[in-house]
Amino acid sequence: MAVGVAARPTVPRADTAPAVEATGLGRRYGEVWALEEASFRLERGQFLTVLGPSGSGKSTLLKLIAGFERPDRGHVRLFGAEVDAVPPHRRPIGMVFQRLALFPHMTAAGNVAFPLEMRRFDPREIPARVERFLKLVRLEGLGGRRPHELSGGQQQRVAIARALVFEPELLLLDEPLASLDVRLKEEMQLEFRRIQRELGVTTINVTHDQREALVLSDRVIVMAGGRILQEGDPETVWRDPAHPFVARFLGVGTMLRGRAEAGPVLRIGERLLPGRAPNPATAPRPGQPAVAALRAERVRIAPADGADGDGTRLAERLAGRVEDAVFEGERVLYELSVPELAGLRLRAIDRDPGGHARYRPGAPVSVQWSPDDLLLFDASLETGSDP
Amino acid sequence: MAIRGGRPAARAGRPPATAYRLSWRILDALEAVAARWPARAEGAVKWLLLAPALAVVGLLVFGLVVMADASLRVMDFRTYQLGEDYSTANYVRLFGWGAFHATLWRSLVATLLVTLFCLLLAFPYAYALTRTASARLRRVLLVGLFLPFFVGQVVRAYGWLVILGQQGLVNQALGLVGLGPYRLLFSYPTVLFGLVQYMLPFAVLMLAPALAAIPEEIERAAASCGASRGRTLLRVVLPMARPGLIAAALVVATLTLTDFAMPAILGGGTNDFLANLVHDQFFRTSNAGLGSAIALVLTLLGTTVAGLLLAAAGVGALGLRGAR
Repeated sequence: MAVGVAARPTVPRADTAPAVEATGLGRRYGEVWALEEASFRLERGQFLTVLGPSGSGKSTLLKLIAGFERPDRGHVRLFGAEVDAVPPHRRPIGMVFQRLALFPHMTAAGNVAFPLEMRRFDPREIPARVERFLKLVRLEGLGGRRPHELSGGQQQRVAIARALVFEPELLLLDEPLASLDVRLKEEMQLEFRRIQRELGVTTINVTHDQREALVLSDRVIVMAGGRILQEGDPETVWRDPAHPFVARFLGVGTMLRGRAEAGPVLRIGERLLPGRAPNPATAPRPGQPAVAALRAERVRIAPADGADGDGTRLAERLAGRVEDAVFEGERVLYELSVPELAGLRLRAIDRDPGGHARYRPGAPVSVQWSPDDLLLFDASLETGSDP
Repeated sequence: MAIRGGRPAARAGRPPATAYRLSWRILDALEAVAARWPARAEGAVKWLLLAPALAVVGLLVFGLVVMADASLRVMDFRTYQLGEDYSTANYVRLFGWGAFHATLWRSLVATLLVTLFCLLLAFPYAYALTRTASARLRRVLLVGLFLPFFVGQVVRAYGWLVILGQQGLVNQALGLVGLGPYRLLFSYPTVLFGLVQYMLPFAVLMLAPALAAIPEEIERAAASCGASRGRTLLRVVLPMARPGLIAAALVVATLTLTDFAMPAILGGGTNDFLANLVHDQFFRTSNAGLGSAIALVLTLLGTTVAGLLLAAAGVGALGLRGAR
């Protein structure tokens, strides 16, 4: 941490303690628990993304960590110290807000200098430090402009510099990229990644953008209905969603409903579809209703009378028909109807549209996938945590 | 505006005009008229729309001119007619008239004090009004804000007479514990008190939109920068609320400077403001010339106060240009 008495961490540090530790956090608005129960640990230097739809409790969780609101139950510890009674301005936290919340009556440099003044940095040191952080976010020479004289991306960078300039120990991002267009968003995602690595600051990012979560994070927490559904590294969450909601929210493709049989196998009508249960805790019990997630990009399509693809272990072939084919440039999205599965519509993604034949709407095809890509869950989980 | 160049062709099977709602038919008729408006006269439309307001302001200016004319004539008390010749005698008389000076200063000091107190009291009220999470509290504050508007200024002043009079509620209550009676009415502080109480809703009304326009996220951002509530108020909220503060000060100051009823009723003639002096000249001593001179001085003062406020803040501070 930097010079200046008050600039030192206001929370005493125990060097081995995790950066953030939440135990049984809950927050209620009136009768409704916006956040029912959240417990997690975040190690120092890591980038955590809290992913969830609006109303999942992710923003409430962030407010509790920042100290803008007090938990109705549970505790937050930052760097080993309990902070329930510490007001937000005494926490070692920098934050970038959803609507940026730049101070319109100050210049960009004034905005960046503000936290340094408030945290009593040596006044002689402030200009150089402001300059350094404006440079870090690539805004050299624009310090004299007011926020409304800057483009959206530049305002974003001012907000980042303001949150980081006093070298906080924890950086909170409250969906700051939500309002940007796709190109700028991707650019800023890489920027966040670069800066976070450069400074090594522990970061919690809140978003409803699953791509952003996968791109940026060391760890991902998926929330819905005020609860944490899964926590893990991005690849695990993507590959082995622990909950049907997680599978759906990460954009799996098709949800199939039927009954479970031992194996595990999903039964739809007379058809038996072998699959796998990624998490024992959410696996369906034999004989009970089950829901299965089928990844669109793992569904293979072949001509109805054509030969099999390669020799990987595939489930039986199903006869289907192309209902719609959407050309999206780097991929083609197919909607397929499969009469044997009670007319269910399957989504399939062909990532190599140039490499082989395309199918026109109406074309009869055969559809197949590996049992590894059919993820089975207890169907009763779906109610209650619906997006 | 209607599509220029003709109405849609009548088609067979079109329902009768009466099938449409009356409001639609009225709008259709208006658009038909508008369609005939010559394109070259387009620029005249905005002036036409402004005309009523300009007429009202014009009448005021006319009144001022008449008054300026009267202020330059001396009243002849034998005939109770204003003299034929122009002179600055009325103004010269004001210049050397002690009672006028006292009244002038009393009005100005009251303007300053009432404006200050109103802003001080209105700010927390408006802040609570725009920030409270409780719908019930907001409703109570809103009712408290608008209720005084239903009670006119004169009625309210008489209400204070009932409360503060020699036989009033306060003195009766004090009498129960063996104190008083005190003379609470007809003093400068009482007039100021009544004025603050009267102007407060105006100040809140002008301030609330400015405070509502400051996102709560901004205050959170200040906190995350390490600013305490007090510093957030001083460094972020107050500067951002400047348009509202200026507007509130403008309204309260001009209304106070020109107020008549509070000094008349709560001052009881002992604490007159300039407006009371004008009134006396016109209706007691029937000196329209001197009254006009005072009225013009008052108008000039009000304009100066408003001008100084706007100059101090910049006209842009009122935030009338709209967001870009």
